[in-house]
Amino acid sequence: MALVHKLLNGTYILSKCLKPSVASCPFLSTRFADYCSSSLQKPVATPGKASAQRNSAGGLQGDHQREVALDVTSPEEKPEVSFDKAIRDEIKEHFWRLKDEIVNHWIGPEGRPLQEVIMEQARVVWQFRGKEDLDKWIVTSDKTIGGRSEVFLKMGKNNQSALLYGTLSSAAPQDGENSQSGYCAMISRVPRGAFDRKKSYDWSQFNTLYLRVRGDGRPWMVNIREDTDFIQKSNQMYSYFMFTRGGPYWQEVKVTAQIPFSKFFFSNQGRIRDAQFQLLLDKISSIGFTLADKVDGPFFLEIDFIGVFADPAHTEEFAYENSPVLNPRLFK
Amino acid sequence: MRQPRLREVKAVSSGHAAGGQLGRNSNPRLPASPSDPRILAASLRAAVGTPRAGFGFPGGCPGSRGLSWAHAIMLARGLSRGWRGICAAALTGAPFSQVPSQAPRGLHCSVAAPSSGSSLVPRPPEPPRQLAKPPAPHEELFRLAPGGARDRASFVQAVQNFGQHNVHKRGHVDFIYLALRKMRDYGVERDLAVYNLLLDVFPKEVFLPRNVFQKIFIHYPRQQECGLAVLEQMESHGVMPNKETEFLLLQIFGRKSYPMLKFVRMKLWFTRFKNVNPFPVPRDLPTDPVDLATLGLRRIEPDLSAKVTIYQMASSRDSTGTADPTEQHIVGIQSPGQQAALARHSPARPVFVEGPFSLWLRDKCVYYHILRADLEPPEEREVEEIPEEWNLYYPMQLDLKYGRSAWDDYEFDIDEVEEGPVFAICMAGAHDQATLAKWIQGLQETNPALAQIPVIFRLTASTGELLASSSGLEEPCPPPAQEEEEEEDKTQRQQQGQS
Repeated sequence: MALVHKLLNGTYILSKCLKPSVASCPFLSTRFADYCSSSLQKPVATPGKASAQRNSAGGLQGDHQREVALDVTSPEEKPEVSFDKAIRDEIKEHFWRLKDEIVNHWIGPEGRPLQEVIMEQARVVWQFRGKEDLDKWIVTSDKTIGGRSEVFLKMGKNNQSALLYGTLSSAAPQDGENSQSGYCAMISRVPRGAFDRKKSYDWSQFNTLYLRVRGDGRPWMVNIREDTDFIQKSNQMYSYFMFTRGGPYWQEVKVTAQIPFSKFFFSNQGRIRDAQFQLLLDKISSIGFTLADKVDGPFFLEIDFIGVFADPAHTEEFAYENSPVLNPRLFK
Repeated sequence: MRQPRLREVKAVSSGHAAGGQLGRNSNPRLPASPSDPRILAASLRAAVGTPRAGFGFPGGCPGSRGLSWAHAIMLARGLSRGWRGICAAALTGAPFSQVPSQAPRGLHCSVAAPSSGSSLVPRPPEPPRQLAKPPAPHEELFRLAPGGARDRASFVQAVQNFGQHNVHKRGHVDFIYLALRKMRDYGVERDLAVYNLLLDVFPKEVFLPRNVFQKIFIHYPRQQECGLAVLEQMESHGVMPNKETEFLLLQIFGRKSYPMLKFVRMKLWFTRFKNVNPFPVPRDLPTDPVDLATLGLRRIEPDLSAKVTIYQMASSRDSTGTADPTEQHIVGIQSPGQQAALARHSPARPVFVEGPFSLWLRDKCVYYHILRADLEPPEEREVEEIPEEWNLYYPMQLDLKYGRSAWDDYEFDIDEVEEGPVFAICMAGAHDQATLAKWIQGLQETNPALAQIPVIFRLTASTGELLASSSGLEEPCPPPAQEEEEEEDKTQRQQQGQS
């Protein structure tokens, strides 16, 4: 199962693939935590390291460690753990997914009729109406590098929104390596298909990101990562700012919570690069929100839903041009 | 103890580490120039990770064979000319009074065989070293004169003093790093003139590359890292460099240097992102809490016709100057639309005072409360009927359906979260019920309908910590229910007493 997983993905460096320590067990239990997290909260210390090995953790956004601090749903019932049964269930589930995929391919892209997909002008990508919607997100903070920020994600009022809250602390960890610290992030999980294959979102017919959020006046950053098989591209992302107004009203006003994709600038390992190119929307892997505004204190962000739509009035392709001073090679 | 020292030597003598980091334009991680062995040793100690092992300062304890051998290696591979002078001075001076107790033991036992295992064994953590921290070089320049305050003038004076007593500007890199750290204490971290003054400390035209080999390799990497650190601090505080900075950087480092490159990048990206905030907050926030509250309320309430009312000023300002807990400022805002909605609100359904919610204005956090009602259930919602044709000039209701088909549908396929209407928002100095009751009384003057409507106070913990929008509501449900009833009676009695 783990070998099939590795073969299908094929993104691993050969040495990592052949490491004997990366045995089938951690991978299985990793998937365990992924699917059964709502009912079974296992301490995922070692699988976390395995996943950190897989996704090279570099830069601020590169960490996909398992720091989901969800409320344990039912601490009283203790579901019995039986590995054989779990393995059998998982295999069945994967084959079911495979069957769904093949059948959906005949209906249309992602199981919806082609006519509907082509005519679509606005699509809701993530909504927060139940606990299972929270499972699609990972929350990280600078605790992974030794900082002291805390961040939690839970359902908001009446199960109608998600609330991301916590405390930001810019006290740098005294490890001689990091001189700055203080960030919190909420990143969406990479969508997986049958046998854990990576899937991506295709937003090529849309051109604006729409967020219905309610914040506390702090400036956030929206980061989008592309789906890539190249390891060298794993720390690249496209970012833009999301300024919250604060206050009791939902922020859906134009201009702000609508961010056209042309405004996203390219950055690698947390630094804006000189050579800028527009965000290509056909293979989007994940989206994330980061707070790192160097101000210590509590914060919260309430999210209603995240959608994409095609704004016909927005004709800009890319907002940043390259300068010949910084990129002489592009202008030869 | 010698093994770590060898590592130190190797790490120090390779300038490649510096080159890689400069090329990536990242934070300069290696600290100041090796002209001060204390800083070097301290930094390498941090890099190695063990606070005790590897503290191999060569000038620690003269007289043992191992020491002089390592010392000779250090001298031979010394990075800069000043290293030797400082080492010679330190040999006699022995500035590390806390080291000798450990150093001789380690040195003597590490002569023959690599016994690094014993030195790398983790020891119990030493007591917090508040007193044992060695003073940073040039720190005496920042010592305050008796009766002096930490302000811009004294900072500028300290920087100028460095140049006066030290014609050759020895140790300027350390001094600049120290000054960068001290800027926040003196309150000058957003002052461009001070940054330019600090860049002026660098000797001019010494670090310019003169031949092709110097141009290929990073010429004077420590100084370029230091220049980068100055620009990074400017960037993190949002200070835009000007022509003077550019000229200084040209004079000091040349056009093709990394600080110059960073300057070009700052110019480009700062201008691009200068006005990117659609809700800008002024740089200098007002210090008066009433003014701050007004600014915050204006920001929260998008309706421009809303009126800000100051129900109570903090009375402590005039009299004693100490905060009087009973008299806090109360500032409220209400728009005409909200006033009308409150007038229409039926007295059968209560309104709630919820809060406090946090609002951040740059780096200041203020808390506000809102007066809102719950959403009416659909059956009770009354549809406002506009009588037809009461206005002959233009139609009051337009029913234009221009035949929009499926490809013009820009609605999201989701039910948006609907919440009850908000009637007023206020910011008060205290978050307790008494202060908010005063706000409600003040609101009643402009909203007489409020006298009949029961007001329930749903206040979450007022410790000032993070409060979710309704986290306080769901958890302690039973106890506040009783409190709510009591409060309801109290407010009703108050209202009856007034009316």
